[in-house]
This record gives sequence, structure tokens and C-alpha cells, in this order.
Amino acid sequence: MTTAAPDPNAHAIDPITFSVIKNGLDAIVDEVAYTVIRTARSEIVKDVMDYSAAICDREGRMVAQAKTIALHLGAIPEAMTAMLARYANDLQPGDAVIVNDPYEGGMHLPDIFMFAPFFHAGTLEGFCVVICHHTDVGGRVPGSNASDSTEIYQEGLRIPVVKLYEGGRINETLERLIALNVRVPEIVLGDLRAQYAACRVGLRELGKLFAHYGRDTARRYLAELLDYAERLTREQIRAWPKGTYRFLDHIDDDGLSPAPIPIQVAITVFEDRVSVDFTGSAPQVKAAINSTLSYTKSCTYLSVRCALTGEVPNNAGVFRCIEVHVPEGSVLNPESPAAVAARALTGYRVFDAMLGALAKIVPGRIPAAGEGGNTVVCLSGRRTDRSPFIIVDMICGAWGARPHADGIEAITNASQNLSNTPVETLEANHPVRIEAYELIADSCGAGRWRGGLGIRRSYRLLADEALLQLRADRMKFRPYGLEGGGEAMAARNFIEQAGVATALPSKVTRPMSRGELVVHEQPGGGGFGDPLAREPARVARDVWNGKISADYALRHHRVVVDAESGKLDAQATWTLRGKPRNVAA
Amino acid sequence: MNSPESPAHAASTASRGEQVRLGCDIGGTFTDLVLQRADGRLHIRKASTTPDDPGRAVVDGIRALLADLEVAPASVIEVVHGTTTASNAILQKSGARTGVLTTQGFRDVLEIGRIRTPTMFDLGWEKPEPLAPRRYRREVAERIAADGSIVRALDPAEVQAAGEFFAREGVETVAVCFLNSYVNPAHELAAKRILEAAFPALVVTASCEVLPEMREYERCSTTVVNAYILPAMRGYLSKLRRELSAIGVEAPIQVMASNGGMMGVTLASERPVFAVASGPAGGVTGSARLGELTGDRDAIVFDMGGTTAKAAIIEAGLPAITNEYEFRDGISSPSRFIKGGGYVLKVPAIDIAEVGAGGGSIAFVDAGGLLHVGPESVGANPGPACYKLGNERPTVTDANMVLGFLNPVALAGGSLAVDPALARKAIAEQVGAPLGLDLLAAAHGVRHIANINMARAIRAVTVERGKDPRALTLVAFGGGGPVHAVDVARILGIRRVVAPVMAGVFCAAGMLTADVEHDLVRAVLRRLDPQAGGDLQALADALRAQALVTLAAEGYAAGDVGFELKADLRYVGQSSELTVRLRGDTLDPAALEALRADFQQAYLETFGYSSEEPLDLVNLRLSARGARPNRLAFGGIRLEAAAVAGVQGRRQVSFARGDAPLDTPVLARGMLDATPRAGPLIVESYDTTVVVPPGANARADAIGNLIVEIDP
Repeated sequence: MTTAAPDPNAHAIDPITFSVIKNGLDAIVDEVAYTVIRTARSEIVKDVMDYSAAICDREGRMVAQAKTIALHLGAIPEAMTAMLARYANDLQPGDAVIVNDPYEGGMHLPDIFMFAPFFHAGTLEGFCVVICHHTDVGGRVPGSNASDSTEIYQEGLRIPVVKLYEGGRINETLERLIALNVRVPEIVLGDLRAQYAACRVGLRELGKLFAHYGRDTARRYLAELLDYAERLTREQIRAWPKGTYRFLDHIDDDGLSPAPIPIQVAITVFEDRVSVDFTGSAPQVKAAINSTLSYTKSCTYLSVRCALTGEVPNNAGVFRCIEVHVPEGSVLNPESPAAVAARALTGYRVFDAMLGALAKIVPGRIPAAGEGGNTVVCLSGRRTDRSPFIIVDMICGAWGARPHADGIEAITNASQNLSNTPVETLEANHPVRIEAYELIADSCGAGRWRGGLGIRRSYRLLADEALLQLRADRMKFRPYGLEGGGEAMAARNFIEQAGVATALPSKVTRPMSRGELVVHEQPGGGGFGDPLAREPARVARDVWNGKISADYALRHHRVVVDAESGKLDAQATWTLRGKPRNVAA
Repeated sequence: MNSPESPAHAASTASRGEQVRLGCDIGGTFTDLVLQRADGRLHIRKASTTPDDPGRAVVDGIRALLADLEVAPASVIEVVHGTTTASNAILQKSGARTGVLTTQGFRDVLEIGRIRTPTMFDLGWEKPEPLAPRRYRREVAERIAADGSIVRALDPAEVQAAGEFFAREGVETVAVCFLNSYVNPAHELAAKRILEAAFPALVVTASCEVLPEMREYERCSTTVVNAYILPAMRGYLSKLRRELSAIGVEAPIQVMASNGGMMGVTLASERPVFAVASGPAGGVTGSARLGELTGDRDAIVFDMGGTTAKAAIIEAGLPAITNEYEFRDGISSPSRFIKGGGYVLKVPAIDIAEVGAGGGSIAFVDAGGLLHVGPESVGANPGPACYKLGNERPTVTDANMVLGFLNPVALAGGSLAVDPALARKAIAEQVGAPLGLDLLAAAHGVRHIANINMARAIRAVTVERGKDPRALTLVAFGGGGPVHAVDVARILGIRRVVAPVMAGVFCAAGMLTADVEHDLVRAVLRRLDPQAGGDLQALADALRAQALVTLAAEGYAAGDVGFELKADLRYVGQSSELTVRLRGDTLDPAALEALRADFQQAYLETFGYSSEEPLDLVNLRLSARGARPNRLAFGGIRLEAAAVAGVQGRRQVSFARGDAPLDTPVLARGMLDATPRAGPLIVESYDTTVVVPPGANARADAIGNLIVEIDP
């Protein structure tokens, strides 16, 4: 009948069946992701959506990925390898293996991976993987995400590769151990249950797929999905100019020492593959911004994927075309017991450096630097009734200008897909008042195309005291422009008490008292192309719309605009600019 | 309020003679009219849509239909209307110049949104432009805390100054959106009063009136959409009113709302945001009514048109409703797991999943050798390759033509001549050749991918909501629905398909089956415990009183109003809710305990687990329905003979890839009766084609619905 997939040749790939199975897997993995968001407990999963989902084949290679946090998923290979090293021959239906240890395939302790093996007719045929950022995993600070820890042992509960569920039953010993070691056990256990519920949905749907097509056919098409992505990737790389392309970017500092942290990348384009070398990047640092190898690789894959055009599937076939070399003991491949909790920041800079190098390879396709990653604000303490609260809030973001368009403002970093927590939700649940959540005029890098504007968000504490942890960057090394575009405004942090504002460094851990207001300003995105080549009408429109000031228009673009009306003074502009350069209608 | 819309008024108008009602649906290609007579006769008319002035096709069509039938315009007692005015204003960015008045520090809530992108790895993505630009978003230094207390009082002079700015700038409509107004609306209402008093030309919408719920972005976005489309909707409805009056139709106009009910013109002119999804709602409401007759109280509604296919579900005789959706420009992906691509509307709407798979969806092979179908569509003009209007790219309709499912001479009751050779050429050259497949295999591929995409829309409203589609009936309409329904049903394990009578104008007919329905909501946000009863009861009573006032203004006595009380609940700490119906009208401890149990059951069904942890009650909702005594009941209808006429014959049809085509009987719809006929079978009528493959059988019920049962 029409539902039975035709399989005229047991070794051939039928293009129709291939399309159907690919769509089917995309639908399954989205359904897994959807289940997580609907069943989880924490704001960081449900509102911020800091989690991800994937389907892997029986060898653990990722074949499908949900539209969630892109950066998590390139980390699956390392975690999967660690998981298989322990349990390859000891998995049964109903099991779910978890791990968060950065030195056993994890990324940082709050990210707990869950692998649920998929069995069909008695044999292992694949995995459903769900990764969630948990609100707290213990350690010296609430949220377990401090950037000023100096050893992994301070960062919280390290979970090696272990089974949380065995044969469908939860391991109560482990569950109680986790509950005892985290500050908000009901939320953490709730999110873990959400991960398991989502995995079960994925397994159920994979079961239907395998039952429909049969084991051999399903296996063959899963393998073809990887080959297909690999083919598409190699085909594109073949058209790239051969050679080695370098880019250097920096993290301001690690918060403990003022030393800048260089991230050096060299991409070598071979015939149909690339090799990425991070030699020259900083040695591992004392504070907790070291990026584990799995995370560094993940950022690298993601960056290359962004430079590909078209609908290349997001799977391990793409990874096959990318070699990654990271010196051991570096900030991108630290040795235990280096602290890693705030490694996301370093990942963002890897992404920025990679895009800077890729801009030399495929210049029409790569934007200037974005805001440099989301800022994490963690506020924790006790309410008047002594009940504890933890706010983990993420502030995003701006994209850099594109080769053919302005950058976007108020947008997740392109390497993530984060959301924000509504102000009213925060205020209803926590003793805090948000006093601003707004765009910052003039914060963009100027250019023929301008970067997106940065965002300001401020928090007034309504409890007696709390601990503030704030992790930002891009105060010293601002988001870069490309092709003559300007750098964006730097990030800023303040604390205000009784109307007096005091500047804070980019990375902060300090107590706050009632009535204090902490203000964070994110940088904007870098500009692209010569600011003097920007069409005056676009400049005037930005002034009219309150996105840049008339002064900015004059300074960066030599365009004269009336501050009040936003009207362009064309005569004065020509006089200032002289001969029009690169005028477009 | 006087009551030009009241049924009483309508009845007096019509007491002079016959009483007829009109349903009217504006589609991309056709404007469909259905005229309902008191004796059950139905008359159908299709007119070409007039995109520059959509009301013209409505008025001209009504005039022509009445003239043909020799029905006096004064006999029309009601016009029920699905309007695209609201959705078009957003799609075409043709709404009013819109301002926002908001709390200091929150000027950009509308533009910031929820930050996410609907795509990954796409550095060329563009975020939708906010409907109110930053210049027109002004702040005042007021502040209300999360508990409703006033942190900083509203300064009327600041509101006045903002109003002056709006007036200077030519802003026509303003959304007032203050932080935490869902707890305490005092400042919003005061600002609205000040603006309306000082600037009578400004149309002001306060967010607490549209959506008194937590979450500032969703509330602001919804309010801004309302403000943005309000002048267009008001203008459209008043023009339609004038023009209908000019042809002698004085009957009240009812607008189809997104929730599947109707709303009077007055309300639709104030809260157009409740009618953005007006069009598709009629078909779903109609399916629910039809299900009462055919015994399909739990059904999937499947509406396939030229550009998209839509799916919704009916549960226990009622359409499933969502309280939030995103209005998007085009359909970028069949995945529902995307956000940030459009404008958020947090209003009750029939929960419809839409995919870019319609008759006109284009099939193409990508660089890696993967076959895609849609979301790009050729539209009605030039249409599929076989339409001979200049398009050469292969579409789903072309695949159906190649396989023999569609009439090879003409479609649409003979009015649209087609050329199957053009379909064969397009499929063979652009799908078959690059994939190394023969013509029939390539056509099956295109059709199968389209079927899979449509099944995905159905999964979105069933499996993703914890519903098993196999237990449901598939109600298929729209031009293409019955062509694909049985194959789509098989993908999902569905055994029963209903192709309703009048499948081609079903949305317009469905509108005649609607009641007047209003949904009210109040934020509560408190623990669900036995002490909650008193407060909740008072709130529920207040909502009921408010609904009665609104419905009384539309001519409904209290005795004709039905209520349904619902609660949005979640486990403490979660941030998305499930809406659960209350079993009765009272909120005593027993009712609250029952509510808790019902939530846990619903949660278990949706997510596969539940727990005994405490619950938060987030919102209380009330649906109030004014029952229409003369609404269309399918049981008594009689169709004109022409609607079911057709030609009998046979043709070669390829039902399954790899199998030889079958010599297949082709019947006119009117030739089927209660005796099941086994497939293969093609049933043609002027507005659609029903495909009954081998392994399925079809029969007609008393009013002409085709029931297809699929063998296990």
C-alpha cells in the first residue's frame, strides 16, 4: 500500500524514502525538544530555552538536531565517546545515562547530558540525547556558574557517566545524592524528569520509524543522511580559495588577572576539507572560563556550518570535513582540575575568531562581530521570609552588520538560540525590580551597514541582601568591524546606590544590599564597510527612529540630520562629505 | 447601545417574508458565498476575489446571488463574514501609523520580543519590523510593582505631552502598555482617558482591556497588533455596512472570530485582534457541527488549499483552542518548534497548524539530490504547469494530474481547462531526470513528500498535544483535501475520512453554523488551595456579569447564554500552563479538588507523567456563548442538484509506486448512496475530487457527505 516504503533494491538509496526519513527524523527531534519545554520546571529551560535535543545512530553519531542551542550539539561526540567507553555493552531498554563532568566529555557542570539508548528488535539502534542547562548543581555559588572559581571542585556536583534510569526505574540513590547537593532540588529533579520524558517521546517515535522501514533499511538511510551532509559540505569547501587564514580576537581578562586572553585561529582550506588550528591561543587560565575540548570543537563546527549555504543537515556528516587541533593545557583544552563553569564566554570568542577568519574565505557571507555572547546575571539570596531565590538571567544581544544588510538588534547570539525571561515573570517570582530593558542608542559599530544596537537591563534588589555574579566581556576588546566598518561601543557595568553610580569591571562577584541597582549594558554589533558610504537616507532614518543621535550621524557618517525631526539636510551633507562615495540610490 | 445587530431587529426586518442567512469567506482566489434558506435549501456562489477592495466581491456576489434566486435583499437577516482585512493589514504592512505609550525603561519591549530566531546557522535572517517604530514608542515615568502597588504615580502632564507628540507626528492609533498592568490597570486606564479626552482623533487601546495577563511582550505585541489593524478593520466594516445597505441588505454583519465564534461589528471594530484568523475558523466550526451529525465528535480537520494545508482538532464536539499563536509572513518550515518569526498574538484562536503544502506547492531537487516540495507556491496565477498559464515548474497538482487522480480535461466543474502533457513534462524533466526516476515514480515522490508534510501539520495538533490521531476521524475539505486525505490518513493510522458536502466552499458554510462567542480572561496567579474558592468565585461572577453585558448589547437575553469556565494551571515553578475546563459553575473546595485532578489527568495525557506537587492557578477564563436559534444545522440541508452533478467514466490511475496503473471508475458525487463502494474509485464534483484508493470504500450519507472507511 502507499504507506509501505518501496525498497526495490536492498542496497540502493531511494530518493523519496530518503526525503521522507529525513523529514521524519526532523519531526521526531523537534517533538523531543517540544516535550522538554512543556515539561521542564526552570526558567532557564522554559523561558530562556537553554537546552537542546538530538537523535544519534547506533554508533552515537548525531543524525538530527532540534532547532535549539546549536552550540551544545557539536559537543555530543566527546560525551558520547565517554558514555560508550563505559556502557557500550551494558545498555538496556529504559536506561538513561547522564553525565556533566567536563573531564569526561561534558561541557560545564550545569549542562547535564542525558542519553537514552534506542532498541529495536533487541539490538541497540540509536540514542535520543537531551542536554539541559540546570539552574543549580551545587558548588560555592548559587547557579554553579561563577567565573571566578579556580578549581572544578568549587563548581558543584560532578556527575561521571552514570545511569540515572535503569530499565525504566530511576536510581534513587543517585537521585537523592543529586537532590542533596543542589540548592533547588525540586527544580533540578523536575528538569531531569523533563529530559527523561522527552527522551521517551523520541524513543517511541524512533520505534515507529524502525518498525515501518525495518532495521536494515533504517540503518542504511541513517548512514546516508550523514553521507549526504558530508557530500554537501565537501562540495562547498571545494569552491573555497585554498590557503591558510588567520584571525586573532581576545577575551578582556579572566576576572582574576588583568591579562588579556588571546584566541588565535588558523583555518587551512584543503581540497574538500578544512583544518582548524588554535595554536597561539592563551594557556589555561586560573578563573573558570576555560573551554573544554568538546566545547571548543563544538564552536568550531558551528562556525564552519554558518559559512555553508543552503540546507545542509545539521549532523555529524558535516563534522567529518573539519579537523580541529587544540593545544593541550590551553584555555581551549584545559587539564583537570581547571575550572570551566563560565566557558560559554570563551566559546563565543572562538566563534568570533572563527568568523573573522572565515570572512577572509567567503567574504560575502560573514557578518562583523556581534555582541560577543550573552551576559549572565545571577542574583541569589533569601527573601524576607528566609526562603531562597536564584535568578539566572541571560542578556542578549546584537548581530554585527552583514555584507548586504544592517545587523539585527535584540537577538540571540547566532551561535545560540536563547530566549529571555519576561520582566513581569521575574518580578512576580523574585524580590527584584527591573528598571530598564531597552536598546542603547549609538552603541552600534558604524559602517556602510551598521551593527545592531546593544541592550541595557537593570535590576534593583528588593531583598535585604543578595549575592551578585555578573559575567560580561568586550569592555577592552570591542566587537570588530569588517571591510572598514567600525567597532561597536564597549560593554559597561554599574552599580547605583542612592543615585550614585559606580563602574564595575566586566566580571563581578559581590554582595548587594536592599535598594541597590545593578545596570548592565551590552555592546552592539560591529559595522561593515565604510561608514562614509552609508546612504544618507538610512542614516537619517536611524536618527528619526531614535537608534542613533544626530551627533553620531555627523561624527561617523558625515551626514547632517535634524535631531528633532530626523530630517536629512542633503545640502549640508554633500558639503561635508564632498564628492559622493559609492552612492546607492 | 442601540441594537442594529440584534437578532430581534433582524427578525422584524424579515417578518415581511422569507428569511435567509449568508455566509461569506474571502479566499486568495475565490470569494465563496453560501445562502441558507429557512427550509434548509443551500445555494452556493463563487466569485473572483477582488484584492484591491475585498468587500467588492462580497457585495457584488451577494447582489448577483440574490438576483439569480429572486430573493429580496430585505429577506437577508444576517451576513456572517470571514474577513481577511486584519491579516492582510499585517501581511502587507498597511495598518495604521501606530504609537506605543509605555513605562519608562521599557520603550523597546515590543522590538526586543523574545530574542529567538526561527532558524539556525542563517546569518542572513531578518527580524520582522515592529509594527510601531521606535520613534513612536514613548515613555512615561509611572511604575506599578508586581503586587499591584504603585511605585511611582502617573503624571498626567507626561501623558498629555506624549499625546501632543503623537498628534504632531500623525500617529493615528496608540497602544497603552504599562508594566504589571495585568495586576493593576489603573494607570493604563487613566492614560487612556487622558489621551481620548485631549486627542479625540487618536484611537487608543489599553493592554489591560485586550489581554490582562502576565508577560509584557506578549501583552504588548497583542495590543499593538490590535491598534495597528483597528482603523483598517473599522473602515472596512463600515464601508461594507454602507454598501450592503445600498443594495438593500440591512441585516446585521457578524464577523467570524479566530476562536470559531462570531462577534458583532461593534466588538470587531474595537478588538479586531480577535479576528485575525477569521478565515480558517469557519471551516473548523463547521466541521464540529458536521461531526454532531455524522457522529465524529473527535476529529481532525484537514483543509488543503492552493498554498498551504491546515490542520486543527475537534475534541468532544468542540474545536481545540490555543491561547497564543504567532502570525507569520509566509511559512518557512513545517516545524512548529520555531519562534521569533512573526507577531505574537495572545488571544484565543482555534489551534491551527499550517504547512506550506498545497496544490500549487513547487517540487524541486536540491544540489545534494534531495527532493523538496514547498513551501514556495505558484499561487492561483499562473498556477500549476497543467493550467497552461505560463508556469513550467512542477507542483503537487501536476503530480496528481500525472498519476490520474485529477480530471485530465478540465477542473472546477469544467471551467478550467488543463493540459496533462505540461504536467508530465514538468515532473519528468525537473524531478524525474535529476533523481533518475521514471515519470510515475517521480510523481509519486512529489505527492508522497507533500503527504508527509501535511501529516506533520496533523501531528503538530495531535501527537504533540498528546492526542492519538488513530482514534480520530479525518474531515477533509478545501480543493485538495479529499484528493490526499486517504493517503494522509494512512500515514497516521487513521481509519475514517469524511469529505463533507460542499467541500469546496466549506469555510463559508461553516460560518453559518457559528454561535456568538466571547472569551474573557483575568490574571489570578495564586496557589490552587482550598482557600482560593472565595476569591475565584467572585472573579468568575464578575466575568459572567461582564459577558452578559456584552451579549445583551448584541441582543442575547441571559437565558440564551451558555458559559464555560476554564483555568490556566501549572505546577509551581513552571512557566507554561495547561487550560483545564471546570466541571461546573461553582468554585467550592470540591470543585477545586476536581480541577486539580483534571489538570493532573490532562498533564499526564500530554506529557506522560504527573505529580502531586502544588499548582498555581495563573488565569481564569470564561467563554460565553450566545446561542443562535437559526444557525445552520447540516441535518436539514438540501443542495442544488448542480452541486453534485458530474460525468461518469473510467480512467487509468496510478495509486501506488511500482504497481501498474488501475482502470478506475470515475463517478459523480450524486451517484453514491449509503451502500459502500470499494476502491479504487474517483468521485468528482464541481469543487473537489475525492480519491478512494484500493483498500478503502466510500459511501454517501443522507445529506451527501462522503464517508471513506480504510481497511486495516
